[in-house]
Order: sequence, then C-alpha cells, then structure tokens
Amino acid sequence: MKKSVVFLAIAVLALSGIYVMASSNMIVEETIGSIPTLDPAWSYDTGSGEAIWQLYDNLIQYDGSSISKFKPMISTNIPSEKDGTILDNGKTYIFHIRQNVYFHSGDILTPEDVVYSLERAVIFDRAGGPSWMLAEPLLPTIDGAYVDSIEQWATKLAGVKKFNDLFLSGTRTPKNDKYRQALIDTFNLLSKSFEVKGNEVIIHLPHSYPPFLYILAHGVSESSILDKKWLIEKGGWNGNANTWWIYHNPSREKDPLYSIENGTGPFTLERWTKGREIVFKRFDKYWAGPAKIEYGIIKKVPEFTTRKLDLLRGNADTIYVPRQYMEQVENVPGIKVIKGLPVLSVDVGVFNFNVDSKGNPYIGSGRLDGRGIPPDFFSNENVRLAFDYLFPYNAFIKQVWVGQAIVPNSVIPKGIFGYNAKNPTPFTQNLAKATEYFKKAYNGELWNKGFTMTLVYNSGNTQRQTACEMIRYYARRINPKFHVNIVSELWASFLDDYASGKLPFFVVGWSADYPDPYDFEQPFYSSNGAYGSTIGKNYVEWAKKNMNTLLVKSMKTVSQTERAKIYNQMNIEAHDNAIYMFLDQPLSMHVQRSDLKGWYYNPMRPGIDFYSLSK
Amino acid sequence: MMEGFLKILKKIAKNPTSLAGLLLVLFFVIVAIFAPIIAHPEYPDTPYQMPQSGWSSIPQPPSWQNPFGTSEGQYDIYYGIIWGTRTAFKIGIVVIGLALIIGLFVGTMAAYFGGWIDEVLMRITDIFLAFPFLVGVIVIITMLGPGLTHVMWALVLFYWMGYARLIRGSVLEVKENDYVMAGRALGTPGYKIITRHILPNAIFPIIIQVSMDMATIPLTAAALSFLGLGSPVGYADWGQLVSFSRNWIISSSGGNPFAYWYTITFPSLAIILYAMGWNLLGDALRDIFDPRMLV
Amino acid sequence: MASFIIRRILLLPVTLLGLTFLIFFFTSFLSPYQLLSAYVQDPRQLQGGNVEKLIDKYGLRENFMIRYGKWLGQISHGNLGWSLSLNEPVSVVIEQRFPATLELTIYAIIPVIFVGIWLGVVASVHHNGVIDQILRVFALLGYSIPAFVLGLLILFIFYGVLGWLPPGRLDQWAQMIFFSKNFHHYTGLATIDALLNGNIPIFLDALKHLISPILTLSYLSWAGLLRITRSSMLESLGQDYIRTARAKGLSEKMIVNKHARRNALIPATTVAGLMFIGMLGGVIITETIFNYPGIGSFAAQAATQFDYAGILGVALVYGLVTIIGNLIVDISYAMIDPRVRLG
Repeated sequence: MKKSVVFLAIAVLALSGIYVMASSNMIVEETIGSIPTLDPAWSYDTGSGEAIWQLYDNLIQYDGSSISKFKPMISTNIPSEKDGTILDNGKTYIFHIRQNVYFHSGDILTPEDVVYSLERAVIFDRAGGPSWMLAEPLLPTIDGAYVDSIEQWATKLAGVKKFNDLFLSGTRTPKNDKYRQALIDTFNLLSKSFEVKGNEVIIHLPHSYPPFLYILAHGVSESSILDKKWLIEKGGWNGNANTWWIYHNPSREKDPLYSIENGTGPFTLERWTKGREIVFKRFDKYWAGPAKIEYGIIKKVPEFTTRKLDLLRGNADTIYVPRQYMEQVENVPGIKVIKGLPVLSVDVGVFNFNVDSKGNPYIGSGRLDGRGIPPDFFSNENVRLAFDYLFPYNAFIKQVWVGQAIVPNSVIPKGIFGYNAKNPTPFTQNLAKATEYFKKAYNGELWNKGFTMTLVYNSGNTQRQTACEMIRYYARRINPKFHVNIVSELWASFLDDYASGKLPFFVVGWSADYPDPYDFEQPFYSSNGAYGSTIGKNYVEWAKKNMNTLLVKSMKTVSQTERAKIYNQMNIEAHDNAIYMFLDQPLSMHVQRSDLKGWYYNPMRPGIDFYSLSK
Repeated sequence: MMEGFLKILKKIAKNPTSLAGLLLVLFFVIVAIFAPIIAHPEYPDTPYQMPQSGWSSIPQPPSWQNPFGTSEGQYDIYYGIIWGTRTAFKIGIVVIGLALIIGLFVGTMAAYFGGWIDEVLMRITDIFLAFPFLVGVIVIITMLGPGLTHVMWALVLFYWMGYARLIRGSVLEVKENDYVMAGRALGTPGYKIITRHILPNAIFPIIIQVSMDMATIPLTAAALSFLGLGSPVGYADWGQLVSFSRNWIISSSGGNPFAYWYTITFPSLAIILYAMGWNLLGDALRDIFDPRMLV
Repeated sequence: MASFIIRRILLLPVTLLGLTFLIFFFTSFLSPYQLLSAYVQDPRQLQGGNVEKLIDKYGLRENFMIRYGKWLGQISHGNLGWSLSLNEPVSVVIEQRFPATLELTIYAIIPVIFVGIWLGVVASVHHNGVIDQILRVFALLGYSIPAFVLGLLILFIFYGVLGWLPPGRLDQWAQMIFFSKNFHHYTGLATIDALLNGNIPIFLDALKHLISPILTLSYLSWAGLLRITRSSMLESLGQDYIRTARAKGLSEKMIVNKHARRNALIPATTVAGLMFIGMLGGVIITETIFNYPGIGSFAAQAATQFDYAGILGVALVYGLVTIIGNLIVDISYAMIDPRVRLG
C-alpha cells in the first residue's frame, strides 16, 4: 500500500516536469472577467469584447496604438473628405469592401453581409445593450433628439405608448395591419441609410454624426461583420423588413449567436467552457495571413495568488494584476511589467441633487438637524464646493492607486481630443476652503448643527471604498459634528438603491464606448444622459438651461477644434458649479512573461490581441 | 448546583488539555471584556471600526504604533483582533442563543406532544436539514445581501435543527422516566413538567453542543467573510482580516516569500486559538457528562 | 421494517415540495430592482426607459406565488433557469460540474474513513494516555483551523514553494486532450474517464490536481470520525462481553481487533455516510481556493455575482442529494440497528 503510494507520487511528479513546457504555440491569458456572450450585437462588456475581437473583423481598425488613426480591415479604404469618400458634410460614407475574405465556415464575405450586420445590430436592440451606438447615427432624430432605440420610431409611427402595445399580449404578432405597417416603415427608415453599389457599401446618415467612424472600428463589438447566409441557417433574422420584430430584444436563451461564431477574424472558436476558459484556434485562411500561434486561451482565475503562481511557473503568459498587488510582480526575473498605460475612463463622485427621501436610510433624519441631511442637500452649491475641496486627490492616487492614475479635471480623459489639462484647473484638497464653504452653506446652520449621511459603494471595489473612507475621515476632522457612515453593498442592492434614487453620493466609473468626447459629455451632462438624468430634478433643470444646447451644437460640426472648444466650455461650466467630483483617470498595466513577444497597447482594445502575439 | 460546578472544574483541571481549553476561553473572555482598555477606540461611538493609519494598499510590518502590523488598506491588525474577539462572541452568543430558543421550542413541542405535531415539526426540520449548512447560509445571504446582521440571521435559520433534534431525543428519553410518568398521572400541567423535570435533565448534551458550536459559528462567519459575504469592510472581524491577507500570503518570488507573514499569522492564530479553546472545553465536558465515557 | 421504509419513501415528495418552497421563498425578499441587477452590469445600461423595459422583459414584478408556480413548472421539466454568472442553463452547469465535485469528495472520503477510524481506535486503546491527548489536540486542531487558512497554506507550500501540485482540475495540455472530440466522457470523473480511455498521463495529471484539495478537505473531517470511533470503542470496551473476554485471558490486541472494533464500526460507518453528504457541501471554500471547477466554486461565484437562478439550482441539487442520501443512511442504519426504527 505504502510502496504504491510512493510510486504514484514519483510518477505524478515526473510527469508534471515533462509536459509543462510543451506548448510554445499556445498563449494563455488569465483574468477575472467572465464572458457573457459571443454575439457581437449583445456584447457590451470587456469580457465578451475581448473574445469577439479575436473572432470577428470590423470595417476598419485602429492603427497600432493610435486611437485617432485608422487602418483598413474589411473595408480597403478609410473614408475621408479628402478622397471624396466622406460627402455631404459628413453625412455620406463610402466603403470599398475587401474581396476574397473568408468566413470561418468557408463562405465568402459580400457587401450585403456588411449591410445585414449593421442593420441587425440596430434591430437586435436588447434592453440595456449597445444598440444605441448605431441607432443614434443611423435612425432619423425625433424632435431634434437622437434616437437610442428602434422602438422609439415604431411607437411613434404607430401612435402607441409602449412597444409591447403593438403586439398581441405574450406574442410577437402585431395586433393589426396598421401596426404591422408601422413596424415595416420603421425598418425602412433604417434600411434607407444603406446602399450597395458593386463592391461599395454607401451609408447615408440622416444627420451628421462626427464619431461615426469610431463606432464602426474594431473594438466596438456590435459593428462586427457577420455571415448573413449562415446566420439565417442558424435561426437568425432573415434580413427582411417584415420579420425584424421577432428578433428584436431577445432573451439570452433565444439568441442563436450566443455561444457559436462565424466571423472572418484570425481565430476560430475551438471550445468555450463557460466560466472557466475559452480556447481560440488559428484560422489558416485569414485574409491578412495566419496568426503566429496555434492556440490562444483566456482562462478565468478569480484568485490573484493562483494567477501569480501560474505566471511565475509558466502556466500563464499574461495575467491580470490588480494595482495594489503590482509590487508583487515587479522586479521578478522572467516577468515584464509595463506600467502607466492611460485608460480611457474616469471615476467620478456623483452628487445627487434631489435624493428620494421616502424610506431612505442614507440621509438620516432627512433634515438639517445634525442627524441627517435634507433631500436637496447637494443642490446647494456651497456644499458641493466644500466636498470638492475636502477630498485628498493626490493622496488618493498615490496611496490607493499606487500612483497608477492621474487627476482628471473634467469628464474627458487624457488621450481623447478635447482634453485640456490646464483649463479648468482640477480641484485639490484645501481644508480651509472646504471649511469656508461649509460655513457659508445654509448661512452657517450646517456648520453649527453638523450632518449625518451614509455613503454606499459596491462591495469589492477597494478604490471606491477608500474614497468613501477618505471623505469620512476628513469630514470628521474639520468638524466633529460631520458624521459619514459607509456601507458596502453587493451589486444588486447598490443598483436597487441607485435606480430608486436613494444614494446621496456615490462613485461611478465611465469608460469609453468610442474615443470621442461626446461619449463622456453626453451621459454626465445632458439632462437625459445616463447619469445626468438620474441625479435629481434640480440638476435636470440646470442642465436644460446650461448644457443641452451646447451639446447639440457640438454634434453639428465635423471640425475637431470647434467641437473641442464647445466641450471645454461645458467642462468649465461644470467645474465652476462643482457638479461632480472628479477622482481619477486610471493608468493600467500589463504583466507578462518576458518571452511573450508582440504585445502593444491600445486603450480601445478589450484585453489582448492574440493575432499580434508569439513566443 | 454549585457543588456540581466545582466538581466539573476539578475534573477539567485534572486533564492538561481540558485545562488549556478552559484557560483559552477565559483569556478570550477577558480580552473581550477589556477591549476598550486594551485597544482604545479613537471614536467611542463606532468602536468596531478598525482605525487606519493611511490608505496605502501595501501591508506594513509590526511597529510600536501597530504591534501586529497593518493589513492591506492600513487597518491596525492588533485593534482588529482585540475587537474582533467581541465580534466573535457576539456572533456566537446571538446565533446560538436564538438557534437554541427555536430548537428548544420545536424539540420539546415535538417530543412532548408527539403524534402529528411531532410529525409535522420533524418534517420541517428535515427540509431545513436538506441543505449542507454552508450552502443554506450562502443561499440566504445571496438573497439578503451581505452584512453581519444578515449573516447572523442566515446562520440562525440553518442552525436550530441540530438543537431541535438533540432536545427532542433527550426529552423522549426523559419522558419515559418514572417521575415524569408519575407527574403526568397526577395531573401536573404540561408546561410545569417540561420546565421542572424534562428540561433540566436534557440540558447536559446541550451544554456540550453549545460549547462546540461557540467554535463552529465564528469559523463559519469567518468563511463567509473570506468569500466576501460577511461583515462590512473595516469592521473588526477576524475573518475579514484573514481575507485581507489572502493576496499577500505568497509574496513575490523575487523577495522573501514570508515578507507579509504578519497579515495571516495573527488573525488566523486568533481564530484557531479561539476555536481550539471552545473545542477543548466541549470535548472535556463531553468526557465528563457522557455517562458512556465512565469506563 | 418494511413499514418504516415505505413511510420514509412516501414522505419524500412532501419533503421535496417543502424544499422547493423554502428555496424559492428566499427570493421573495428581493425587489424587482434587485432582481434586475442580474441583467445589468453597469448603470449606463439603464439609460432612457430601460429599467421598465427590462423589468417587463424578465417578468420581475409578478406576484410571488405566480413566480413560484412558474418556477415549479420549469424545474419539473428539468429547466432550472439561466445561470447569469456562467451564461448557460443551470442544468448544464450542474451536469458539468457535479461529477467534478463528486470525484473530489469520493477521493477525499477514503483517507478520512481509514485514517479517522484507525486513529479513533488508537485513541481509545490509549484512553487518557499521552497518545490519546496528542491525537485529541491534533483532531481538535482540524476542527479549529479554518478551511481557507489551511487551503491557502497548502497552496503556498505545494505550489508556491515546491511547485508540485498546481490548482485547477487538469493541466493545459491534458485539458486539450480531455476536451478533444475523440476522448469519451463516460462518467464525468476525470480520473476514471482517463483510465477508460486508456490515457495514463491524464489519469496521473488529474490525480495530481486532486491531492491538495483532498488534503484540505480530509484534514478538516478526520476529527469527527476520530471522535465517534473513539467514543463508541470506549463504550464497547466497557461492555460485559469484553470484560468476559478479558477475564478469559484473551490478549488485549485480540480483544480490540476482534470484538470491540467490529461493534464500534457501526456508528462510525453511518457517520461516514453523513460525512460524505456533508462534504459535498463543504467543498465550497476548498474548490474556490484551488480553482477547482466543481459545484462548490460555482456556488461561491453565483452568490457573489447574485446569480440567483444558479444559487437556487445548486440549493435544489444539494437538497435532493441530501434528502435521498439521508434516506439511504437511515434505512441502512435501521437495518443494522433495530432500535432506531422508532425514530
């Protein structure tokens, strides 16, 4: 018994030595994110984005590390006014489609596939998905406002309140012919934008939309090019105007593309074990030549310690390292750490101008009596200014981000045009000024009575947690009557409180959908932006007066300098009124084994690009 | 009663491991009672909030200011361990107390009345028993959200069944005794029989079980904290201190692999010693009370 | 005897229905917005009218009993819903992951039974002696050391320092073969399937990955068995027939091996059965630490990501396994020991 155990142990150990290094044609990345889907039209997260990046191609792609210069991909040209491929003051785009591009199934790509793919992305429109990105440029505006969802046109044309009112309850059968016709007309509004002429795809936008090319570029999953014929075989939408609503807003179970693929990308899907790993295999007929490696693997390994050991032992080639553990992988022989890579995202402290006070545990008594805060606490400009001066920006970045972040001065992160480091000047901590504004607010009543409120962050986010702790610490230091409690909540409860408008102050992040300042200004400042619309009626009113017109103006011109000027004006306005608290723009890092070659950084790319890598 | 207590103490003192258990438990009781003196809270109204010296995420080794070093996020480990003792007792006492009340109620009802009441109560008990403890608790916390109060509710909800069964068993045993039969025959009211005769006789196995559970419950709470489902960040809690250390246990292979030894060593020692104390005590009590052991 | 078994089996559906109700009851604590979070990863997804759209789409505002009824209808068809943390049907997740947990538990219970019983016998023979005390401390340490501390230490020593025992279930090369098309999955247990496919290297590789979690799991459980064996050994050593045997002058070794141990093993094996069931649930922490793709690590992941369909599915499976497992243990115990039939 004992002998056999010893023998087995030796055999096991011996074997582990033989196989470890057997794989130079395989690159393994270990990370923490999961991959919700492989359907480009569904994907709106980094995990799916990274997988789709390897499998699918877009019309155009970024040139290496640049986020402003493009390179051809499925289109052989980059549309420009100079070549005459952007016409009508930025309303018409002409793409020459590459020939002899193979899908993984063996089909050959046609211009119709391009049109089908973009149309599908718009009609797919799952609730909470990315379809708005293409809907805004491709669908005509309603009352001068961009249309985020094809449903808006359908309900307008049919004259009903809700999209579901068009159908017999529980089905996708239109109630009557009028509604059916409205749905078909809606689609025709979309298809009017596309024209196929020989090898060319011509897109006629109903209005100018300056960021349009960014939205088509590789990295925005929903603009990936699909195989129409194959997708119809798999039970997908057939491309016709009179069926699209059946394929609109599907549940994940009913999405035919969620776990299969047929792209034109450099890799095919070999295997996907959900929640564990996804394996890509080289596609030998890739139009730009086959990849250097045979297999690319993305594994999900939640435990940092395990990832680190795997990296050190050569079982992983590159891993995700949270910033606070950076020190543990630096200066290790055989490991390369590349730091200071600017990420196109900002973390923002959000003041809720009008908190919902009904049953709200976070504002204490709900009055200015020292045991709570009034629901419109943050409508008070002095209070906002005081908080903006209270926060220790530099200490936050130095200690919490281990120096791997910079202080933003507006919602526009460094790296995107329109970023202006000098103007407005970012807030810095100034406790004297914070005291001054606290004393000014409510005519000194706030200072004498003090306040109590609760800050909430979603658990697991160390940075947000510490930001809250810092506010608590300094508030108490300048006035012992200032009580800040901190609560961590799971995502579910956090979202619950956020959606019901209960959080007085919270930290959120925003990362670029595409590298254009509009993608940052709109959500935060517009009165119907993703955040702007949720932070209280006092803000909404202010924004309608001060922000909305500027925003509309910024989209009427293609000139970057002119647009940058408008955004700068908005940023200064927001800064002077202390609308938000700009905490940080993270710098990311890349950790890999030294023998991995070919890696480069592009902030618009989700994850790594296996096509560029070799060992 | 007093005499019996002294006798038990004497028996414990005779056995070195049992004595060690008793001393460990006493030690932690003293630490919990004198926590405000041993580790003075900066803000007495929120004593369970561990003080932070800075916000850096890299742990700092023991120093005069932080005798056990600091965890990631610069929480003082020493303070966390001292006040964490109170947390451990709090969780243990609240959870076991409530579970015991439910268990006593269900167990005595079932055993005393028998028949369909017994049947229904025991089937309900079976349903709750159908979850492995940790699974049941995690299901509830998923739904309620994390946090110490929720953890305690979840633990109670899946812990009373053991007591209920234990009590039912002992009561059934005692019920057959002559004096209970006699009492019943004489028409003594049911509640009197239960409180006067049945419970006092069924109490010993419960004491043993409680002592063991005082170890188990905080361990489970710590495991939940480790999974990120326990107490809020910064709350003095041993499990949380260990989870702070999880990414620092194996430091970089370039340097000393034990560079951050203090982040895991002190909190886990606290947990292990605390659990060990109660387990040794419970084991000793079992030897003393269990008549089968009297060889 | 027969009536006892029939009664227990007849009660089974009642217990199961109660189980489903209890499981689903917990979801009634959730508000529609909380349920919504399962579909929303970023507040930006809520822009415009998306909140109501999503609540409508997934039927999150319906009354509890209606949702319960729907859910019962689904699970009776084997449809456990959609796991949002893994993005596939919960039934598929369980089908894939349960064998892995089963494999781990089977391998872990074997050393527990042998070592636990053996140590229990040793302890009882040396009752209150030095060995008994040492074993007692050793066993209680197993009760007192948290699984995550022990697991992390084992990972540190055997992977971090020595580099012998990697986490996971298979090495990458083995994984590539294991999941290839011509590798047949007869049982879902990696070691057994490897043997059935005649692939010894994969068998050894799977075994290698099992050692660390087995060590962790089993050390934590030895104590229980040791205790039971010890006390029932002490009991049977005190019985009349043992005294008689002693009086007859039989050697102590003979008495222990032949008479006392046999009787003491009955409660020990029952406990081992219960322990096996308990261990299936106890793997959550161990699987998480060793990144082992079983149902336990799925449960932990589902809980932290608010995958309530996943959690409900896991709870249901555990409930079923436990109820049926307990039934088997009870019945077999009743067959061995007639006294328990009354209970």
